[in-house]
Amino acid sequence: MATRQERSAGSATQPPAGPPPPSDRAMGRAGNAVARAAFTGASAGLLRMRELSVLIVVVALSIYFAVSNPAFASAQNAAVIASFTASAAIIAAGEVMLLVSGELDLSVGMTFAMTPFILLWAMDLGAPFIVALFVALAGAALVGVVNGVVTVGLGVHSFITTLGTLFLVHGVTLIISGSFPKPAPSKGFVTQVLGGWPWAQILWAIVIVIVMHAVLTGTRWGTYTIATGGNPTGASEAGIKIRRIKMRNFIACAVLGGFAGIVEGIHVTQSFDPNAGGNELMFTAIAAAVIGGTALAGGSGTVIGAFLGAVVLGVLRNGFTLQGISANTYFVILGVAIIASMVLNTQLSRFRREAKAG
Amino acid sequence: MPEQPLSGTDGAAASRRNLLKMLGAGGAVLGSSGLLAACGGQQEQGGGEGVGNFPSTPQFEFVFVNHVTTNEFFTPTRYGAEDACAILGCKYQWTGSETSEAAEMVNAMNAAISRGVDGIAVSLVDTKAFNGPTEQALAKGIPVVAYNADVDNARLGYIGQDLYTSGYEMGKRIVDLVGEGKVALFIATPGQLNIQPRIDGAVDAIKESGAPIDAKEIATGAEVPEELRRIESWYLGNKDVKGMFAVDAGSTQGVGQVMDKYGLHDKGVRGGGYDLLPKTLELIQKGSLDFTIDQEPYQQGFLPVLYLWMYHLSGGLLVPPETNTGLVFITRETVGPFLRTESRYEGSTGEQKYIKG
Repeated sequence: MATRQERSAGSATQPPAGPPPPSDRAMGRAGNAVARAAFTGASAGLLRMRELSVLIVVVALSIYFAVSNPAFASAQNAAVIASFTASAAIIAAGEVMLLVSGELDLSVGMTFAMTPFILLWAMDLGAPFIVALFVALAGAALVGVVNGVVTVGLGVHSFITTLGTLFLVHGVTLIISGSFPKPAPSKGFVTQVLGGWPWAQILWAIVIVIVMHAVLTGTRWGTYTIATGGNPTGASEAGIKIRRIKMRNFIACAVLGGFAGIVEGIHVTQSFDPNAGGNELMFTAIAAAVIGGTALAGGSGTVIGAFLGAVVLGVLRNGFTLQGISANTYFVILGVAIIASMVLNTQLSRFRREAKAG
Repeated sequence: MPEQPLSGTDGAAASRRNLLKMLGAGGAVLGSSGLLAACGGQQEQGGGEGVGNFPSTPQFEFVFVNHVTTNEFFTPTRYGAEDACAILGCKYQWTGSETSEAAEMVNAMNAAISRGVDGIAVSLVDTKAFNGPTEQALAKGIPVVAYNADVDNARLGYIGQDLYTSGYEMGKRIVDLVGEGKVALFIATPGQLNIQPRIDGAVDAIKESGAPIDAKEIATGAEVPEELRRIESWYLGNKDVKGMFAVDAGSTQGVGQVMDKYGLHDKGVRGGGYDLLPKTLELIQKGSLDFTIDQEPYQQGFLPVLYLWMYHLSGGLLVPPETNTGLVFITRETVGPFLRTESRYEGSTGEQKYIKG
């Protein structure tokens, strides 16, 4: 039910309006325009609402934590929540594109850890930081290319392809890093831009989320991505090169993962760790996407929703630790809280659908 | 748990220096004879001739079963095993689980037993899981030693830190440094047998001292950035804290970075933890952290190989001894040499070099 509505909302950007019958052409044209406007308005409202219910969860959680501990609502803690959120949000933006087109990338947490070491390798060879950065992102893109070629070219399901590259990339990272953390670059203008400023990481996340949101909702790439995931056969018959679209999304996801890894190393730990990110981060990002309203089956999704999903998970981890929940109970409470938040989210969605229907 | 006498900081530091010298010299000798070209402990050499005045032996193959195979803590351990193998003309394999899955480790151990390897070193991170395989291996004449983490089973000897005792010593140090008030004890993964005993030891020491310290155990997660964020979150909600301590490498670095960010050491908060991640050492020198505890991971690879080899050489007469690889408190006064030197003994470089003390 929800999927169908959201799919129609997603594909509304390209309504398949045929020419009206010539007999009442004038009336038809006017009626068509009104219908179209009403339809777009409603779908835009729906889209907003879809993200709104996650936003309500964020606000509810924040109020709860702020009431239970005044330190939660401080500027210092906002920076910590931003740090919890940023990497997952950047990666989730990539995963949303992939999930919407009907694929997923399990290897992105490992690409996150590998890319910084390619950066260091290039810098060791004498490349200036900015060049090394592009070399590193090209390395990340290569992982996306491999994922794409094996999945769309050779017909292996992306779950399996990226499970394979997950291990492959992890192994490569351990070898090129000598299984030991290395200090991250800390000097230079580009380094400062990437992660020097206190709010740099979350600003990058917000910029990327806005850009990817625009890509998904306002460009041909986004429209084709939705069509590819929603109805691959139809999209293919309509002349959309679904392989090329998926390929592009694999590369985007891997590059965003690599970029997040570099920013996190520079901004948060000031060191690049071969075991950073990994599967925990990948699951957090996919969970953020799904919490935010992206269908695991493909065809619909929202980048802003995924961002809010990442905020939910960040607030939960930050809030409970800040309250000083002790080690063993932490996981029980976190688990219950994630499920409770999502029950609230789905109930809110149902409520707004029923309100619309009635 | 038995308490055993522990050497003081200075004595231990001095003996460590001597040992580093000795090992460094060994590495240099080997380097010059060109035996260390290959990596991964797969050096192909004929069995033992020319090694001191020992007789020729077959090329023994030993298996290290580890609970976190890719963790950077064990990088020096692998270098230690590799170096010992290069000296003694044997081979080793590094295997086990990446995520502390006891079942995966048992499978690796059973595979080694059925392959008929010449010795097994295993980190015993489960009280029961390894007892059967250990007995089977011994019954087949395969010597088994424990390293890094230990339980009471049939294994011949244990090479590593006495985890509970090390935690107990940290607890005593916490009582000395902090005296009273709220203290956080951070742990990456609660319940894991190579770190949980440290927390238990610390809590017991604090309780037995009778000091009015309120110790809280906080879980941080297994990934360094996440550990840092959770520690910072906890601090922001608990600003009345008097001490923050950690029992694993990543959390220790996280404690140091949070103490540094908020200038907590100057405000009278005390902090410390375990292991020698580069950032941890840097923060000790900066004065943000009070101490970190070194447990000599290099020796936890070097000595098992040596002991297993000696066991075979002597036909089982030389039984692997219990070896405490140490409990060295590294402080601002003693951290210098560790920071200045990149070495295989800390894992910061794979390069063989003679480090002049």
